[in-house]
Amino acid sequence: MNAIEVTGLGKDFAAGPAGARVRALVDVTLQVREGEVVGLLGPNGSGKSTLLKLLLGLLRPTAGCCRLWGTDPREPGARAAVGYLPEAPGFPPELTGFEVVRLHARLGGISGPGLDERVGRTLADAGLAAAMHRRVGGYSQGMRRRLGIAQALVHEPRLLILDEPAAGLDPAGAEAVRALLRESRARRRTVLVSSHLPGEAAGDCDRAVLLHRGRLVREGTVDDWTRRGARSTLVVDALAPALVEELRTWLGARGATLRDAEPPGAAIERSYREAVAADPGGGDKEP
Amino acid sequence: MIAPVRSAQQAALIGGSVLRECRRQRLALLPAAGAAAFTGGAWLLRDFNFGTTELKFLLDAGLGAQALFGAILAIVVPAQQFSAAVDGRTAPLVLARPVRREAFVAGHLGAAVVLLLGFCALLSLLLATLLWWRETGLMRAHPAAFAHGRQVPYAALGWAGLGQWLRLSVLAAVTLCFASYARTGMFATLAGFGALAACQLQHLARGHLETMASPAARLGAWLLGALVPDLHRFDLAAPTTVDGAPVAGTVLALATYAVTWVAVLGTLAACGFRHRDL
Repeated sequence: MNAIEVTGLGKDFAAGPAGARVRALVDVTLQVREGEVVGLLGPNGSGKSTLLKLLLGLLRPTAGCCRLWGTDPREPGARAAVGYLPEAPGFPPELTGFEVVRLHARLGGISGPGLDERVGRTLADAGLAAAMHRRVGGYSQGMRRRLGIAQALVHEPRLLILDEPAAGLDPAGAEAVRALLRESRARRRTVLVSSHLPGEAAGDCDRAVLLHRGRLVREGTVDDWTRRGARSTLVVDALAPALVEELRTWLGARGATLRDAEPPGAAIERSYREAVAADPGGGDKEP
Repeated sequence: MIAPVRSAQQAALIGGSVLRECRRQRLALLPAAGAAAFTGGAWLLRDFNFGTTELKFLLDAGLGAQALFGAILAIVVPAQQFSAAVDGRTAPLVLARPVRREAFVAGHLGAAVVLLLGFCALLSLLLATLLWWRETGLMRAHPAAFAHGRQVPYAALGWAGLGQWLRLSVLAAVTLCFASYARTGMFATLAGFGALAACQLQHLARGHLETMASPAARLGAWLLGALVPDLHRFDLAAPTTVDGAPVAGTVLALATYAVTWVAVLGTLAACGFRHRDL
């Protein structure tokens, strides 16, 4: 069964007092099967967030329709098994992280004596064990992001809708998001994850679709996208930029193309990740 | 679980969260402190030794402070909290849950009504305490003037507080109705103050139109009464100070009037919010 079914979906927004309209989505058709992890790729302003909001009933479509397990998402029951992380999640600043996640758990229909323990465990898993009883207003951007992930997962949803989940996270946080995608894939949880950075999410997806100017322009498995079968990957340490150019020329002379070379910054990022991972006191981020 | 019961529970959860937020923001503290200071300040006029008239002055000042600062609270709380939820992006997160938009609006309205109940109860209690204390002092100083016992109708003071709460609840519902359509909290707040003036003075315009002979004027008076809530009728201060406690029938009719308007305005707010893109 399809967890998500989108047919001919379109959305226009008013763009000014003169009645001008902006077409944010045009005739998008998409299916996501139960247990599939799908990446929704596209540059900023391509309509990714609009599509996700339409799937949650937060926006009304101008044309077409979308369904969650065959039900209109504007029906509350259709959203019962959905966890949503928006691009910029907003939380009441005076409440504590624990209160926020507890509220979302209860709104999701979870109650009973094990509720508080479950909320605490979810927050600890998200890396907020020490900060859960502090005001959200004092959280850093990364901590808010982790809180957003916690509230999306607290009711163990069957479908996760993640809008730019790694935005604003440090390398360790971004790695945690990738781990979440891998875990979801292993548990056969359906995930629709958007990103404007293809390498960020697509590697952990079964399939990726590309939105551009509101239209779905490409769709396929990750292998289709990267054509891995036709590629060779060389991993070389400490290759100076001048040598990269020499290598490019050398390969070109033999009919091959050097598609990508990881910049020195990526090595710094990896070293940083390793150093943070090696720190036993690592965990909650301070604002 | 039955859908309406579930929606009611969710509205209570959202309302509880809004109230907790209001308490920690100390949003109600300023109007409550202002009203208390205003009421307490009137007591300073005891030096003029007005005798029994002083008690009436205290009563009027206290009820006036309750009406003025209560109106500020009834407008600012729903306008700011609702707009903050929409602009601050907490609303999309809540509404991505299996929560009806009606429950979201009801939660915000319920929170404002409960907050106003606390405000009116607190101010009524403060006023009654102040009056009791001052009346006791005056009874000692002028026993002849109090030969028939205490003169302040304390039970009626409670009715006046109830009338004030009903009035402010209708005003909060009007403001929430504007907030559900408005794009900014500032617009909702200003519209709320405009509505306060229109609703408070509605009876004067209606009375004037009813005296005119033309059918159009009479239709206008009818429309005014049907479309704009009359906040003036909740003023139970006059019967409190002049005739004693209002009869139960009057209070029941007022409560019905208030509940009807709150329900109508709440439904309008929910309809407006239901079709709003978030």
